[in-house]
Amino acid sequence: MHDSLWLAVVAIAVGTFSMRFLPMLWMQRHLDKHDGQDAIDVMPQWLSLLGPMMIAAMFGGSLVPNSVNLTGWAATACGVLVTLLVWRRTLSLGLPVLAGVFAYGAVFIAFR
Amino acid sequence: MISDAAYPHRSAWLAGVREALPLLGGYIPVAISFGLIAIQAGFSAWETIAISTLVYAGASQFLFVGMVAAGAPLWLVVIMTLLINARHVVYGPNLAPWLTPSRWWPWLAHGLTDQVFALALTRFPQLPANERVGWFTGAMLLAWFSWIGGTALGAFAGAELMSRWPLLGEVLPFALPALFLVLLAPRFTSRQWVIALGSAITASLLLTLNGLNNAAIPTAAALGCLCFYLVKPGEKAGAERNA
Repeated sequence: MHDSLWLAVVAIAVGTFSMRFLPMLWMQRHLDKHDGQDAIDVMPQWLSLLGPMMIAAMFGGSLVPNSVNLTGWAATACGVLVTLLVWRRTLSLGLPVLAGVFAYGAVFIAFR
Repeated sequence: MISDAAYPHRSAWLAGVREALPLLGGYIPVAISFGLIAIQAGFSAWETIAISTLVYAGASQFLFVGMVAAGAPLWLVVIMTLLINARHVVYGPNLAPWLTPSRWWPWLAHGLTDQVFALALTRFPQLPANERVGWFTGAMLLAWFSWIGGTALGAFAGAELMSRWPLLGEVLPFALPALFLVLLAPRFTSRQWVIALGSAITASLLLTLNGLNNAAIPTAAALGCLCFYLVKPGEKAGAERNA
């Protein structure tokens, strides 16, 4: 990579880091000004809504399988169902994910 | 020798590592793909690893490599990649209420990716305040190292790996939607949340299917918020916010 390309990589790295850190710092200072109040009540309501909605949006986008065909969708549906069922039984984090991946893989291999 | 006082911190650190393990299923195959694509675009293995270490943001890294390979002006490459990463600005403020005073947060913020944010937003309210830095450090470092390691694997042996085990690249990425689902499931607590979250999920799915991957997350999230307010106009949902 020539120098200008390295400069671009550093600019993107610094910019991305700033977008991750500076708003966090800003909100921490905003909360400090309202010391004594419940932090959640001090946060703008739209902001506390946006977090779960971002996760929902990431979930929706990640549902699209690598292979967009009947097998891919059947594996996705089965994986989602098994993940949910195992989560309802265990209320844990790792096991439902593992079971979901196995179910997805089993359907994918069986019908490909 | 480790003092007794260090144990809670250490166990929190290990809990973060353990709970971030599902992320590997999504990170490693994508990182291998990135390493492979960057090599094919003319970057050296060490340059590819440096990009993953410094930038550490999947979609923007693919765009960076693609635009550079296509000969786009560098100023445009920088602006476009930063625009893709702009969604990160809402992550820090959402976690801020649970951040305890620590000089480590500025450094740890480098690891605030989409998936680590989703995990932290769910776990922070459940964790004791003195365990949050340790938990986040463990989760963030595991995710970061897996991204760097996957990139290195892709850069040095990606082509051979993909040809030998093509199914791994197809099956393992399902770990990400499965993880998001587990994080979201407890939030379906009322009709208002079901409609709002359902709208965000559907909108993002449709946008991604139509090739609008980068617009999908912010657009769908904004739509979900809008639906939340439209379902019960004028009524505050404060009681449900922490559900």
